[in-house]
Amino acid sequence: MKITKNVSPEDKKIINRIFWRSFTVFASRAGATKAHAPGFMYSIMPALDEYFKDDKEGHRKAMMRHTTWYNITQNVGTFVMGLVASMEKKTAQDPNFDPDSTVAIKTSLMGPLSGIGDSIFWGVLRVIAAGVGISLASQGSILGPILFLLIYNIPSIATRYYLTYMGFTVGDTFIQDMYKSGSMKLLNKAASTLGLLMIGCMTATMVKFESKLSIPIEGGKPIKIQTYLDQLWVGLVPLIVTLVCYWLLSKKVNVNWILLGVLVLSIALGLLGVV
Amino acid sequence: MLHTATLAAICVFVCLGGNWLWGQTMIERPLVVGMVAGMMFGDIRTGILIGASLEAIFMGAVDIGGAISSEPVTATVLATTFAITLGVDTKAALALAVPIGVFAAFISMFLKNVVMNIFAPLVDKVASDDNPKGLTRLHFGMWFINYFTFSLATFFAVLAGARPVQHLVNQIPANLMAGLAATGGLLPAVGFAILMRMLWSKELSPYYFLGFVLAAYLKLPSVAVAALGIIIVVLQWIRDKQIMNIENKQKAAPVASATPHLETTDSMDEEEEDFFS
Repeated sequence: MKITKNVSPEDKKIINRIFWRSFTVFASRAGATKAHAPGFMYSIMPALDEYFKDDKEGHRKAMMRHTTWYNITQNVGTFVMGLVASMEKKTAQDPNFDPDSTVAIKTSLMGPLSGIGDSIFWGVLRVIAAGVGISLASQGSILGPILFLLIYNIPSIATRYYLTYMGFTVGDTFIQDMYKSGSMKLLNKAASTLGLLMIGCMTATMVKFESKLSIPIEGGKPIKIQTYLDQLWVGLVPLIVTLVCYWLLSKKVNVNWILLGVLVLSIALGLLGVV
Repeated sequence: MLHTATLAAICVFVCLGGNWLWGQTMIERPLVVGMVAGMMFGDIRTGILIGASLEAIFMGAVDIGGAISSEPVTATVLATTFAITLGVDTKAALALAVPIGVFAAFISMFLKNVVMNIFAPLVDKVASDDNPKGLTRLHFGMWFINYFTFSLATFFAVLAGARPVQHLVNQIPANLMAGLAATGGLLPAVGFAILMRMLWSKELSPYYFLGFVLAAYLKLPSVAVAALGIIIVVLQWIRDKQIMNIENKQKAAPVASATPHLETTDSMDEEEEDFFS
């Protein structure tokens, strides 16, 4: 792809090293206050080492700058790593460049990038990959897990690679431009459409409920409640339970309470002989 | 039993630790963990089957910003271990996985967010000492400590839990068992709700119901639904792009002549929207 063309061979080497190191970004988690700062620092270290080669104090300051909280979906976080590398290069070369803007931009990008990254990679790609994987694995085929890994990882690693270069080359205004031109909105809409469609499909196939309750009739076959439910709407209970969970979440109810609620509800239904 | 416990702990360490050490490649998902655990205990088919069922249950167990609702690796490893080595019925093993997952999530979050906080000052220290080597050691050291400690939980769970679990499973009355099985059936709903929180918007919500109907009534496999979804997205993208270009042009053009034209494109847009939903 063109994106690697305008980069000098020295910078290319650095970007490639950042790309490889970025795989380990979430290896450590330094508590809730710093989260993945060590992983971020480790990943951009090749850039710092190169650009602050002859400036020990600059190197030290650059390290200290990046000890702040960091967390971005890791396949898209490389964009910020590339961007920070290019800005640290500017800091090292241009004394008038304000180094604090690096941290400001890094921080301001975390929310929007994670938002789109989480919905594309967690909400869409993983769900599609798992859908394919489950249908094969439920027949006991080893292809299930293998295809799952391939479908998820090939696009994710490719994204990770190109975004490292893009962050380095396109600069800090790129994301803002994408927002202004409306491309970000389109991307968000596409991801949400595909994700919602898949989750609707998964709600129908993976949320399961079957009542064994039946009403005995004198001299005839007992009437099964489930048959009535199915005639009304296939998958009525799963759909309602999912929508109620969603509604509770949107009312800011803690997810652990919802989990507990579902647990208690199903056990109660079991004890009452409904399921 | 010591042997089994060690294998199970290694399985957690490799799958969970490996996932986070290198690229979050999803080797922590039940589909993969079930296969790995199955391989270790010599019954890969059972492992894959349990993995497939648990993947659906834990579909929504996503680690976003360190907050998780349920921890799938420990749950899958323990369920597979009990099913293969103790001969626990697969259904019972699946039902056990659910409470294990919720409990393991608490341990995991406590470790990651509270215990690992003791290393936060060290991060500042290596930075102010300008010590990149120290940072590397700290980074991977923290990785090892966190996941090693977490794997120990599985080790002790198998060691101490095997006998009581077997005893317990034999004692559970049938209707409680049915309730636990129903939990496994309904729990994915919570996960999907979490994912929907990220994606839901009023204007796109019909697609959720479209996906539901395609699967529930037309019985389309998920690959077909995904393919249809991609087609819809491409068509939508092309149309939105055209509208965006028109809008951008109109912003540049004089306002008076532009207004009526804009309305017609808007109403066309709505008609198409209705058609798709």
